[in-house]
Amino acid sequence: MSDELKLIDAAKAGSVTAFTELVRNYREGLLRFLLTRCASYADAEDALQDTLINAYKYLYSYDPRWRFSTWLYRIAIRNAGKLRSNYTTELGELRDEENDPLDNVIAESERENLWQSARRLLNDEVYTAMWLRYVEDMSINDVAEVLNRSNSWTKVNLLRGRRTLDAELNRTAPASESEAYG
Amino acid sequence: MRSSTARRLRVKVKPMDKLKQQLREDAAKIDVTISPELDDRIRASLEGVTPEKPRPQGARKPAVSLWWMSSLTGIAAALLVLVILDRNRPAPAPEVQPLAEVETLRPPLKIESAVLTAPLARELENLEADLRKAEQMVMADIGLEPR
Repeated sequence: MSDELKLIDAAKAGSVTAFTELVRNYREGLLRFLLTRCASYADAEDALQDTLINAYKYLYSYDPRWRFSTWLYRIAIRNAGKLRSNYTTELGELRDEENDPLDNVIAESERENLWQSARRLLNDEVYTAMWLRYVEDMSINDVAEVLNRSNSWTKVNLLRGRRTLDAELNRTAPASESEAYG
Repeated sequence: MRSSTARRLRVKVKPMDKLKQQLREDAAKIDVTISPELDDRIRASLEGVTPEKPRPQGARKPAVSLWWMSSLTGIAAALLVLVILDRNRPAPAPEVQPLAEVETLRPPLKIESAVLTAPLARELENLEADLRKAEQMVMADIGLEPR
């Protein structure tokens, strides 16, 4: 039995310490992801807290056939959606030129952070699919599971997302780099 | 030949690899930290939560045992519809029974027709007389001699 499964069993039995240890490595990634989906840093922290509480409470429903991170992200997306539904519906609407929480946590650079572009250019689900695939390194199956979509939908939309962001990257890249892509 | 294919492949693949790399790098630039306050808050919240237990399997009746319920419900519904339709059907016309031969009742008194029509004839004469008088009065009023 892997360490993760042992921790899961202990957490199911009511050990907060085991659960804290279990999610330690996922917390920052989750917070980063939630930050891109919430209107403020405080909202992202609240969504993280709710996600971990729900995960602990309903740990019995976790199916070990899936990666634990897949299950966690599924809960996180639902919590972020609940928080967001109070004041907005689409990720794009979160973008406030002056108070975008991402602006505060992204170091200054020559061009716009690709994830800020993604939030502007992609819809909610495609954005999430891109994040899970390229930041969290999830398989197509896992991404489809988190989004509750078919594998073919996931593949097609990942391709669309890639094309959109690739065009954006080429558009904003310095001239010397653009030439390199042919 | 091989080198030109390889070059073509490299040209096609490179931007995507660059994109993946850029996506990862840009995600890493989103600087977040779990502050000790947040850590404490989460831990305190978790302490107050009791993990739910899965429902015992025995508590749930197997769905198979209820298969006949749907059949019975269907039959009962069909019967109910039939009863309702039957009640709403117009009542059948009563079978026409041949009427019993009944002797026509005849008035016991023999009354002459003249006796019955005499008052009406008198009334008619009175009305005609009234009409004539009225005609004469009108002619007199307007200064004409009655014909």
